Amino acid sequence: MADELVRVLVVDDHPVWRNGVRNDLESSGKAEVVGEAEDGGDAIEKAREVMPDVVLMDLQLPQVSGVDATRAIVDDSPHVKVLVLSASAEETDVLEAVKAGASGYLLKSSSSDEVVDAVLRVRDGEPVFTPSLAGLVLSEFRRIATNDPTAPELTARENDVLKLVAKGYTYREIGEKLFISTKTVQNHVQNILTKLQLKKRYELMRYAIQKGLDRAPE
Amino acid sequence: MASQEKSPRLLARENVRDESRSLVTGALIFRWVWLIWMAGLTAVGNEELAREPLAWASIGAASLWTVWLTVSRRSWNKSVMVFDVALCGWLILASGLVIREGDIILGRPFFATGYPLSAPLLWGAVWGPWTGAGTATVLAIAHLLSRPLNGVQLSELSPAQVQNVTGAMLNYLVAGVAVGLVARLLRRSSEALRLANEETMKERELTARLAERQSLARAIHDSVLQVLALVNKRGRELASSDPIDPQEVARLAEIAGEQEVELRSLILRDPVAPPTGRASLRDALEDASRAVTQLKVGVSATGPIWLDRHTVDELQAATRQALENVVEHAGASSVTVFAEEEPDRVTVTVRDDGGGFAYDEAKLQADGKVGILKSMKGRAEDLGGSMKVTSAPGRGTEVEFKIPKVGSGG
Repeated sequence: MADELVRVLVVDDHPVWRNGVRNDLESSGKAEVVGEAEDGGDAIEKAREVMPDVVLMDLQLPQVSGVDATRAIVDDSPHVKVLVLSASAEETDVLEAVKAGASGYLLKSSSSDEVVDAVLRVRDGEPVFTPSLAGLVLSEFRRIATNDPTAPELTARENDVLKLVAKGYTYREIGEKLFISTKTVQNHVQNILTKLQLKKRYELMRYAIQKGLDRAPE
Repeated sequence: MASQEKSPRLLARENVRDESRSLVTGALIFRWVWLIWMAGLTAVGNEELAREPLAWASIGAASLWTVWLTVSRRSWNKSVMVFDVALCGWLILASGLVIREGDIILGRPFFATGYPLSAPLLWGAVWGPWTGAGTATVLAIAHLLSRPLNGVQLSELSPAQVQNVTGAMLNYLVAGVAVGLVARLLRRSSEALRLANEETMKERELTARLAERQSLARAIHDSVLQVLALVNKRGRELASSDPIDPQEVARLAEIAGEQEVELRSLILRDPVAPPTGRASLRDALEDASRAVTQLKVGVSATGPIWLDRHTVDELQAATRQALENVVEHAGASSVTVFAEEEPDRVTVTVRDDGGGFAYDEAKLQADGKVGILKSMKGRAEDLGGSMKVTSAPGRGTEVEFKIPKVGSGG
């Protein structure tokens, strides 16, 4: 598995950028670009067609946004992982993308090595968190907890892990600090992501029940 | 933003005058008219007076007092009022003494007519209807007492004279209370106007902030365009040059990187109007991190985190010192600054992935390396908080500032 090339779909509306990423990925010898898309709608179709391991997703797209495309792709094929690679996206967009099912987030100013590394980690099921994303997620859980005390919450351990990610610690360092394995740390982070996505669904469900949308039309 | 800028509250206060002040001016003008009238009556009717020197001495005192009141406007306190009421009360009583015995009931204009009325008018205008009523009561009693002083016993007054005295006493009360009520009304409406003005000022401030941001955006867009043009031109030239100067390429990447950071900080967030007198800790920490160019600094936060400006400034300064320390000593490749807001406190951590060290304050003290740490610690303690350093060789260093949130407004 590890020797196989990661199959990547690159979604960005700038051809120059797509080219650059393709070069970075392919020259690493660890990944191959199996498709490119310049808009969200395009990306949804291509993903269905080529079934990549990882979709590298820009958020600012001309027609169908990166958030919507992420949601559609993850709903369609849950085994396809989405890694958001964004230059100047609003913080709220990044959070929305993660809630929609993205497995991680990276700034476009990251080095090629970091991008390749993140793609590999996401393919292996490891959520890629930047400290700033962890800060956002932390405040998001607090916000929801104050608005709706019945919504799913983080355990104390998950909270500790998230705070350490926000402080810039790697999973390995967090494991050493908390006397748990790196794998356990990853699981915690994965659970945090799942809860965040669950919260999103939970919110939608509550909304539907409130509006009576769950009842069949008469 | 400059700290000496005037707050909207102050500006609004300057724009809306307290309209009840014109009432005070009116009361002072009446006082002068009545002073002249009193002096005129005394001069014209002097042969009818029993104690002329006392009359002139009283008028002299009233004149000096009127001049002083006019000159010293706005620095009046309660003792000024007490003295004024005493003087006016004396003028009423004096009229019983200076007018020939028994003449006070003749109903002719006499010595202290009018002038004492200016006391309830003035103090009602300054301190409202209750004060007006209080001073009026004192003067009404003095008015009643002036009859026996003139040798006219109250029991001897005819019904018409009783009506006359009662009417005069009520006049004081009506004057004091009415002016007091008007003054209160004026003061309340100017307060309402001031609040409305304050709102307008706040909106103007926000508009100004937006405009400032726009002009900033224009400047940044301009510099971005210039850098793009430069990168384009030099990039082409470099591509065809042989050998390619790696330093020149690195320089191009560096200036492009700088522009990226600037542009991102501009685009990322909407300009939010901060709560009055507050600043965003996250923005301040991002500013501090932007100043560090030697290594990668990331800032994460649980939101904008609005705190009072002083706390933000101090935390920013402490963080800046911590970052400088990392640059100089840690041998780190990246630093993360994390700001966390909890209901009762704010925590800022500066964490590097450098060499770390065995943190021993006593040893650092002995080595004379404690200066910057002490200064950072001092800042945290001045804010009622604390600083903690966690480090171990090979494990990087974490500096943590914990500051309690003051006030329930949090």
